Amino acid sequence: MNKPELEGTAHLLDELDKKLMVLLRDGRTLIGYLRSVDQFANLVLHKAIERIHVGKEYGDIPRGVFIVRGENVVLLGEIDKEKEDNLPLTEVTVDDILDAQRKEQEEKQEQQKLVTKALKERGLQLMGDLMTHDDMF
Amino acid sequence: MLPLSLLRTAQNHPMLVELKNGETYNGHLVSCDNWMNINLREVICTSRDGDKFWRMPECYIRGSTIKYLRIPDEVIDMVKEETIVKNRGREQKSGRGGGGGGDRQNQRNRPAARGNFGGRGGSKPGGQGGRNPPFQKKKQ
Repeated sequence: MNKPELEGTAHLLDELDKKLMVLLRDGRTLIGYLRSVDQFANLVLHKAIERIHVGKEYGDIPRGVFIVRGENVVLLGEIDKEKEDNLPLTEVTVDDILDAQRKEQEEKQEQQKLVTKALKERGLQLMGDLMTHDDMF
Repeated sequence: MLPLSLLRTAQNHPMLVELKNGETYNGHLVSCDNWMNINLREVICTSRDGDKFWRMPECYIRGSTIKYLRIPDEVIDMVKEETIVKNRGREQKSGRGGGGGGDRQNQRNRPAARGNFGGRGGSKPGGQGGRNPPFQKKKQ
């Protein structure tokens, strides 16, 4: 049963109907069943959830059906059912994880402000635009 | 069923479109093309931080600016049904026209193509499609 190795996007056909984790370019993690793929690696994810990680905690938000435009995908991989059952992480409620995420973002922003200020005092100016998602086109 | 065919099936259904810049657009899909360019109706646009909202009667979104689309669960079920119905139709048609001989290839392809167009016509507002009008009523 040695199938010839498929190249590029055709590899994805092997992953059809499997439970996949998809990491997007904006940093979000989606988990769902891959139902369809095309030549641009556009994906259809069924029964998808968005998983948010903060430290050793995570929370799942049910999202339904996704059509993901291929160019926004960083990586994807099959989820190992056995390993999934004993994750070294703890699941918390959606509200809790969203709170934690908000706090983490605020802390990051504070940190960023300090860095910018310190650099400014040394005569260096960080380009504020680089921190936005607008350069993702 | 390719991702873009699924999107075509989702015509007249509500959906959420997130752009690469983080803005989201909630509305009913009017039409889409092979480049994922889409037209929405009754749209609510939300800013990236989710703090500003705009309502607009319709909008056009260029496919290349889209990050992802979220569509209702039932659209996938519709696709499954449609594929079954289509296959059934194809079996019957090819069964009847089986003895055709040289022109057989064409005969087999024609019914499928007609099925496609029928589906698309039905999902346009005002079209006389069998499946979509009830859905539309339920949503509004």
